[in-house]
Amino acid sequence: MKVFLVSVIAAVALAVAASFLLNENQKFAYEAYATSGARVSHPGSNLVGPQWSGNAGGAEHKSHGS
Amino acid sequence: MARVSGLVRTGIVALSLWAAGALAPSSAQMTKDGLNPTGANPTANSVNEEFLFKQEPKIGGRVSIPDQKSANLIQPQGREYRAFREDYLPWIGGIAVLGILGLLATFFLLRGRIPLDDPGPDTGKKILRFNSFERFAHWMTATCFIILSLSGLNYIFGKRLLMPLIGPEAFGALAQWAKYAHLYLAWPFMLGIAIMLVVWVRDNIPEKLDWEWIKAGGGLVGRGHPHARRFNAGQKVVFWMVVGFGAAMSVTGLVMMFPFSVTDINGMQVTQVIHSLIGVVFIAGILAHIYIGSIGMEGAYDAMGSGKVDLGWAKSHHDLWVEEQQAKTASGPQVGKRPVSPHQVPAE
Amino acid sequence: MARMKFLCDADRCIECNACVTACKNEHEVPWGINRRRVVTLNDGKPGERSVSMACMHCTDAPCAAVCPVNCFYTTADAVVLHSKDICIGCGYCFYACPFGAPQYPKVGNFGSRGKMDKCTYCAGGPEADLSTVEYEKYGSNRLAEGKLPLCAEMCSTKALLAGDGEMIAQIYKERVVKRGYGSGAWGWKTAYRETVAI
Repeated sequence: MKVFLVSVIAAVALAVAASFLLNENQKFAYEAYATSGARVSHPGSNLVGPQWSGNAGGAEHKSHGS
Repeated sequence: MARVSGLVRTGIVALSLWAAGALAPSSAQMTKDGLNPTGANPTANSVNEEFLFKQEPKIGGRVSIPDQKSANLIQPQGREYRAFREDYLPWIGGIAVLGILGLLATFFLLRGRIPLDDPGPDTGKKILRFNSFERFAHWMTATCFIILSLSGLNYIFGKRLLMPLIGPEAFGALAQWAKYAHLYLAWPFMLGIAIMLVVWVRDNIPEKLDWEWIKAGGGLVGRGHPHARRFNAGQKVVFWMVVGFGAAMSVTGLVMMFPFSVTDINGMQVTQVIHSLIGVVFIAGILAHIYIGSIGMEGAYDAMGSGKVDLGWAKSHHDLWVEEQQAKTASGPQVGKRPVSPHQVPAE
Repeated sequence: MARMKFLCDADRCIECNACVTACKNEHEVPWGINRRRVVTLNDGKPGERSVSMACMHCTDAPCAAVCPVNCFYTTADAVVLHSKDICIGCGYCFYACPFGAPQYPKVGNFGSRGKMDKCTYCAGGPEADLSTVEYEKYGSNRLAEGKLPLCAEMCSTKALLAGDGEMIAQIYKERVVKRGYGSGAWGWKTAYRETVAI
């Protein structure tokens, strides 16, 4: 039983370690597909960037990130 | 070659179009909008879908965006991938998993639990069969395998069985976590497979004895106990299945984990097909392994449970191995003898 | 109800990429994700043609079929949409899609690629029409305002047509009859199991 518990803990620990390593190597599409000439800050993973004001119709959100 | 023949074909079409244009009464057409004033057909050389599909199974071109995957215009192979995943795979998976469960249940009803033999003089004494490191590697792999197989089956059957029960939102969240588990627990699983290969490979080399064991029907179908060393032919099959399928699942899994790093879209589709097919067969095989290691045979579970098995059981099931052990230590059963280091295998 | 489709007249497309830009701007699509793209075939050779391609909103869509969490649904206009709340980012839809439409915010490992994004036919998502939440997740919903997808509406050569399938097929057929040639409706055979007979 002790060996079993140790093995489960080891499996979870290794999985957590793997998740950190893999996420470390994860790349956003805006990083992977940007050329050196592109000035991309952090457009976020969703459609509207982090500076999104929530105003869908307004001109405010149109100005950022371009 | 395909390109040359394509050009030839295009040329033939161009010629025939030109001939048709030349032969047709042209006076009426000359006044038509959009007709080229020179009389040449502007589409004579143009590519079209049918010709391109005759040359290549998919149509690709050039794009000005850095993501080169997007240069693929049409890949009808997606339809075939879909047909496999939705029309065949659920049946293959269902038959594999339910089929083996049915077989095991039938076998259990017919044969019952294989009992310990008549208690002999050695019954009650214990012999160390798997040291703690071996058991650690086994259970780490086993735990990962159970989660991996459940989360793997979830990709096929989750939306069919679980989703109607718990609703799409709850199922979406569950599937998300299952996917994380599938991806991250793959790593300890791969490590476990590697450890087990190193630790047990020398006891699993096929030999002549195995053939005799199979001919005698093992201890499973036959009544007697054919000779066996540390692992009998059945256990060797399980070992090589785990190592072989484990390696195949690891390779295909890694290819999918880093999408498009080694292969293109069609390669990814094929990889997924291989991964899923081996996966369901692997699950079926391990279900049989779980059966014989637990309810299928009395005394077998102790080997991986406490690591020590009944000496009487060992003598009937692995007689040659017990002889080797006793000759090595010359002091009878190795009760209480602790493994010195993980690399030393006391059972040798 | 209409059966919405896209049709790209390759004999008119001049690879200006305005449809791509319009799409990106209308929906604030982040860098690296292309809901619409223009692919040039036989680039630089005689007979070069460009085709603007996005999600074709297939009949019996393969993406919807292979999705392990059934996050896709088809609207009354036969537009194929998906729910980003249910999507787990597994990437199977990209393998099944004949047109390479599904896109992911992250390119690396399969496990954490983020929620899939694709052309919505400017029809938003499962959230309430024209709500802020819908805009944040799926971009604007022009269809709810009675407008067609921006890419097709603003195509300067009217190569890209959007609207009811029969109607745009009729427009294309008339063009072909009038001018005497046409290279067909790209992708229609794969997406809808039908071609525009000229």
